[in-house]
Amino acid sequence: MITAPRMQESTLPKPAESAPNAKVPRPDFLTVRNFNFFYSQKQALYDINMDIPECQVTAFIGPSGCGKSTLLRNFNRMNELIDGGRHEGEIKLLGRNIYDPKLEVISLRRSIGMVFQKSNPFPKSIYENIVYGLRICGHNNKSELDEAVERSLRGAALWDEVKDRLQESALGLSGGQMQRLCIARAIANRPKVLLMDEPCSALDPIATVKVEELIHELKKQFTIVIVTHNMQQATRCSDLTAFFYLGKLIEFDKTQKIFSNPSQKQTEDYITGRFG
Amino acid sequence: MNDTMSEPSRHILGSFHDALESIKSNTLMMASLTERSLHNTAKGLFERDEDLCNIVIADDEEIDLLEIQVDRDGIDVMMRYQPVASDLRQVVSAMKMSVNIERIADQAVNIARRVRKLILEEPLPEIEELKGMFETSIQMFHDATQAFATGDLELARGMKARDKELDIENARLASLFADKMPGNPTHLHAYLNLIFMARFLERVGDHAKNICEDVVFAYAAEDIRHVSAVKASAE
Repeated sequence: MITAPRMQESTLPKPAESAPNAKVPRPDFLTVRNFNFFYSQKQALYDINMDIPECQVTAFIGPSGCGKSTLLRNFNRMNELIDGGRHEGEIKLLGRNIYDPKLEVISLRRSIGMVFQKSNPFPKSIYENIVYGLRICGHNNKSELDEAVERSLRGAALWDEVKDRLQESALGLSGGQMQRLCIARAIANRPKVLLMDEPCSALDPIATVKVEELIHELKKQFTIVIVTHNMQQATRCSDLTAFFYLGKLIEFDKTQKIFSNPSQKQTEDYITGRFG
Repeated sequence: MNDTMSEPSRHILGSFHDALESIKSNTLMMASLTERSLHNTAKGLFERDEDLCNIVIADDEEIDLLEIQVDRDGIDVMMRYQPVASDLRQVVSAMKMSVNIERIADQAVNIARRVRKLILEEPLPEIEELKGMFETSIQMFHDATQAFATGDLELARGMKARDKELDIENARLASLFADKMPGNPTHLHAYLNLIFMARFLERVGDHAKNICEDVVFAYAAEDIRHVSAVKASAE
């Protein structure tokens, strides 16, 4: 298992620095043990072992096809939707195996929300997008839903921009607003973990900065795992970075360490652009 | 064990690779010109050659311009390519090194100015005493440059001890020249100039040591500056 060692810290405030009132993170919040994943005959992940701490941002980096999104999707069992997909090993959330047959996948996905590369609001109003998951779970009390909408939109830093047009179509929002709406929708159910698969790759620089600032705020309440091809984004947003290559976890350490003095040559070659 | 680092492989982005190489080559050019100035200063003193001193003073401008160029290129690389890990350390170290090299060149100018005054007077036999410090400090700077060029960490790590020896020699010469002053009131200025020259050479050693600290940081990601202070603050 690759764990992050103690290291000398900079005294400068870091973008991903925990707020003073942040929780003391539980180091083994989400654990991966001896995890392999196969797309039919093709093995996509090899013996992954890692501990993802609570209320921290963990970034997955690596070239296309390295397995980072595959692992991310396994965290809420989305790979079960793929024909021929099978896994070996364990992923545990708060000590409970997410593949436990007694655990309902819908319940798991309430605990582990996901935001995708391309924003995917439902063709409904902004309000209905937020409450969609809550309604499915049987919450229909209007004041309860109103409270959830405001809380989620405030949490996604979108409230001030849309509070006067909650009944308008979500499809009328800008790309950055749509992505923040999807984040608001994901946090409406108060998940424990928020998975983000290249959440800013389709956004302009200002919208990207807004989402990054949002990540910084959200980590006070949620454990965040983000897949990104943008290494500057990983340095700005994350506390920990995992580098994957050809389905293997090459290095997992504090972001400051990975981007200043990585332990593995493959990591150094990748982040400095000497790869291949 | 010789722990010289191997050259990193070429960057995929050719322009980034070229920009990094350009910073390194400009830094080495600064070092080369500065070493030549130190040699010229020594020669100017021991051969009583004012022209060489004038060349040292004139060459300083070129070194100053190269320092500005290295800074400008370093900022440009950070702005354009956002280097990380060893690339970032190389850029930061080159920018810090250029400051140290420029200050060594300033020390050469300071000595050259004193030499021009000194050679107007009759030669003092004690001038020969400075030969050792000249040789040692110039060799230290040469080795610091070599360590930077090749990533020779063993050479870099050894510089601190050599700097301490140079400090001791400076103290010895300062005492020697000061002792001569009461008995030679007509040469007071000359002895003062010798004391200052020894002091300038001692500063060359300090800057060579600083360069080597940056070399260790650039190639081994290890900060070896002020180790005892860092240790004390951690305790």
